[in-house]
Amino acid sequence: MNYQAIRAAVENPLLTAFNSLSPAVPVFFDNITAAPANTTTEYVRVNVTFGLTTEVTLTSNLDFVRGSVVIRVYSEKGKGPARNQTLVNTAATTLLSLSASTRAATGIYFRPGAVNGPTFSTTEQSPHMMGRIDAGFIAEDHG
Amino acid sequence: MAKRDLKFLIKDIEDATLEGARTACVQIMNDLVEAGPAYSGEFSASWYAVAPGKAPGSPRSSTGLYKYTLRNVPKTKFKTTGLYTILNTSPYAAEAMDLVPYSKPTERLEERKVLSKTIKTGRRSPGDTRGQVVGDGGSASSAPADWWSTFGLGGPLTKSIGKGFGKGFLTFGKAKGFS
Repeated sequence: MNYQAIRAAVENPLLTAFNSLSPAVPVFFDNITAAPANTTTEYVRVNVTFGLTTEVTLTSNLDFVRGSVVIRVYSEKGKGPARNQTLVNTAATTLLSLSASTRAATGIYFRPGAVNGPTFSTTEQSPHMMGRIDAGFIAEDHG
Repeated sequence: MAKRDLKFLIKDIEDATLEGARTACVQIMNDLVEAGPAYSGEFSASWYAVAPGKAPGSPRSSTGLYKYTLRNVPKTKFKTTGLYTILNTSPYAAEAMDLVPYSKPTERLEERKVLSKTIKTGRRSPGDTRGQVVGDGGSASSAPADWWSTFGLGGPLTKSIGKGFGKGFLTFGKAKGFS
């Protein structure tokens, strides 16, 4: 089971999508501790977690990875929700585009489930507004 | 061979489904306790299985990980529109579930004040959630980041439901005295 390839299947399209925006919005993935340039800079955090790796099935292939992807977008607080929603939209559109993936003979088959959210929150201590969506996923490694 | 008059079939299936749902709630809540953060025990003791139209019960006291049993799941009548909602009534539930940014407590617990003088505990940047602890030292997060999303969307919830529901549904026949 190639966890790295599964992770890449969702992280790469999101990175491409946010890099294509003008101006590009930095994306931070799991175990990246780099902080944004300043506290009002827009940025995105993408966290991928794995819940189950195998499942008893009726086929010879036990590999059936399930997990979740959580995308948080941070935009400047006190400026209204429009910009945050634009960034959330980029994330949601990218996830939806992955739903069109097909099962090939080789490689990773990645299929996100329903996209939950967005939810928006601000706190007194943070200079950002946070928008959050998440989705479960299934993935199969066909080698 | 087990047998029972056919006229009881639908009622028996409904009752078995209720029993399965109650047992599934117990399993899910105990698995949530296992998966989620635990420090004072308040969060782990704040899960409630609530029947439609009902309210969660009064707060429970706990000094450790709370262990749920069928006593914590009220009986309800069979409905096709849903039997229970599981929720957490802790005031900081959204933070504990990494749904909103972490807010520093206004007052630190006494033992944390002492510990923080001698042990590096990591830090959170403004806007980070509870689980997003970085830096040196034994970071003080008792559950991984996004444990709630992982539990709900990543497979463990489905597994809990299957395990708990099966246990309750299958024990029902014995209680009804199939002969």
